[in-house]
Amino acid sequence: MTDTGIDLVQVTKTYTRAGETVRVLDGLDLRMEGGRYYALMGPSGSGKTTLLNLVGGLDRPDSGKVVVAGEDLAGLSRAALSDWRGGNVGFVFQGFNLIPVLSAFENVALPLALTPLSRKERKERAEYALELVGLSDRMGHRPRQLSGGQEQRCAIARAIVTDPTVILADEPTGDLDRDTADQVLELLQRLNSELSKTILMVTHDPHAAETAQRIVRLDKGQLIGIEETASAGAR
Amino acid sequence: MELLRLAWRGLTRRKLRTVLTVASLAVAFFLMLTLRSLVTTLNAGAEAASASRLIVQSAVSLFVDLPLSYQSKIETVDGVAGVSKWQWFGGYYREESNRFAQFAVDPAITLDIYPEMELEAGAREAFLGNRRGALIGEGLAKSYGFQVGDTVPILPELFPHPDGAGVAWEFEVAGIYRPTKESFDANMLLFHWDYFEETVAAGQNGEAPGTGTYVLEIEPGSDATEVMAGVDALFENGPQRVQATSESEFQRQFVTMFGNVPFFVSTIGGGVFLAILLAVVNTMLMAGREQTRDVGILKALGFSDGDAVKILVGQSLFISVLGAGLGFVLARATEPGLASALGAMFPGYAIRPETMVGAGILALLIAIAAGIAPAWRAARLQTVDALGGDE
Repeated sequence: MTDTGIDLVQVTKTYTRAGETVRVLDGLDLRMEGGRYYALMGPSGSGKTTLLNLVGGLDRPDSGKVVVAGEDLAGLSRAALSDWRGGNVGFVFQGFNLIPVLSAFENVALPLALTPLSRKERKERAEYALELVGLSDRMGHRPRQLSGGQEQRCAIARAIVTDPTVILADEPTGDLDRDTADQVLELLQRLNSELSKTILMVTHDPHAAETAQRIVRLDKGQLIGIEETASAGAR
Repeated sequence: MELLRLAWRGLTRRKLRTVLTVASLAVAFFLMLTLRSLVTTLNAGAEAASASRLIVQSAVSLFVDLPLSYQSKIETVDGVAGVSKWQWFGGYYREESNRFAQFAVDPAITLDIYPEMELEAGAREAFLGNRRGALIGEGLAKSYGFQVGDTVPILPELFPHPDGAGVAWEFEVAGIYRPTKESFDANMLLFHWDYFEETVAAGQNGEAPGTGTYVLEIEPGSDATEVMAGVDALFENGPQRVQATSESEFQRQFVTMFGNVPFFVSTIGGGVFLAILLAVVNTMLMAGREQTRDVGILKALGFSDGDAVKILVGQSLFISVLGAGLGFVLARATEPGLASALGAMFPGYAIRPETMVGAGILALLIAIAAGIAPAWRAARLQTVDALGGDE
C-alpha cells in the first residue's frame, strides 16, 4: 500500500525581510501518518504556514528533506513540482482564493483541466464535489455572490475535486463566524473519516484544532510536541 | 480551452478598461492604415507614371508659365513623338469646396499621349469636335452626377471670364474617361486649349496666356535622358530656361512641393501610434499586476509557469488583434468616402494589401510587446509571494 504520510527531516528554512535574516524552521523533524487529520498550532511566526507551503510544494527548504506520499519533493524540478501538486495536493486558504471572474462550478472544475478526463467526466466530478459540500444550488454563482462560508465550501470542493492524497488548509475558518466555521470543520472531518484524506490544518483556534485527531505544536521553528485530541478517541 | 476561458475572463474583470483599450487600438490602426495609404497612394502615382512621358516646366518654378512658342521648338528635338500644353485652370464648381483639377490641353495629342484614359465609342470624336467640350473622369461624374451633354460651370480664380468677374466658364461634357490604372486621377476635367486661349485673349488686357507645362511623349526606343538634355539645351540661353523631367520625377516633386508630405504624415502618424502603444503596454502591465493573485492560485492548483505566460500573452493578443481588426474595418468602411473626398490630391486612394499585411504584423508585435512584460513577471512569480500579494 502506498504511504500517504508526510515526513520532514532536518528541515531548515530562512527568509530575508528588510535585510534581516529570520530562521523560520530550524532543523525540524516531523512525521505525520497518512489518512490522519492534523492540526498545526503555534504562535505567530512559529513557522506553521511555512511548513504548510513546504509540504504543499509551494516553497522549497534551504536544507533537509520533505517527503509527501512517498515523493521526495527536493528531487522534483519546478515543472514537475507543479504537476505533482496538481495531482496530489488540495489547498484550502484562509482568504478562500477563488478566482473572482469564474463561477463556483468553473472554480471547482479548474484543477480538472490538468487531468486527462473528458469534458463530461470533469463536469460530473465538479458537480459531485459541489454536491458533497452542499453547494449544488450555487454552481453558477460567482464568488462575490456567495457568503463567506459558501466561498470556503467552494474552495474545499475545489481542493478535493482531483481526489488528492493530502489536503492542506491554512486557517480555513479564520474569516468565518462560529456556526459557519463549525460547518467547514465538520466537512473537513468527513473528508478525513469518509474519504481517508490526510489533512494538515493550520489554525490558531483551539476549538478548531480539537476537531482534528492530532495537534502538532510548533514554536520558533521547532517541534514542541504532538498530542492526541478527544476527537481521535471518538473516532 | 480552459486557458482561453481564463484569458477571456481576465479581460472581463475590468470591462470598461478593456473596451477603451480596444477602442484606442482601433483608432490607432485606423490612423495607421489611412495615413500609410495616403503615403503609398502618393508613391504609387510616381511609381505608376509612364516611362514614355516627360514633363517640361520652367526652371524657376512650376508657377512660372512657359511661352507658347516653345511647343514647336520642343517638337524638333530628336525622340519627341508629340507635345501637348497643360495649363492649370484653378477654378471651382459652384461652391468653393467643390474643387478638382481642370486643365486646358491640346485635345488630340493628349488623348494619344494618355492611353490610360479609356473612352466609350464616339467620345473621342465628340470631344475633339466640340470647342467648348470637356472630358471628365468617372470619379467626377460619380461625385457630381455629371452626364454627357451636361453643362458644367466653373468659377475661375486665375483666369477671369471676359464677360466680367464672377462669370463662370461653361464647359459641355463631351465624354467621360475611365482610368485603366488605379493610380491615374479619375477626377480631372480636360478642355480645349484653343477655347481657353481665345477666351483669355478676349479679356480686358487681351494677352494670350502661357502654359504651365508641356507634356511630351517620346518615341519608342528613344533615350529619355538624351531627350531631356536636348530640351533643356534648347532654351539654355532663354528667354525662359526650362527643366525637363520624367513623369515620375515630376510627380515626386509635385508631392513634395508643399513640404515632404510622406515624411510629415509618417511622423505625425507614427507619433500618435507610439503614444497609443505605450498606453496599451501600460494597461497590460496594470492588468497583469491585478491578476497576480489569480496567477498564484493557478500555480498552487498545478498550472505551470508556461500556462501563466499563455494566459497573459493571450489577453494581449486578443486586445491587439481585436483593436487592429476594428481599425481595419473602420479604414475599409471609410475608404470609398476618403477616395472620393481626397481624389483630387490623392488619386487612386486605396488601402493596399501590403499595408494590411504590415498592420497585421504590427498588431502581433504590439501583442508581444505589451504582453511580454506581465507574462515574464507572472512566469517568475513565486506562488507563495503571489498568494500573499494584494490585488
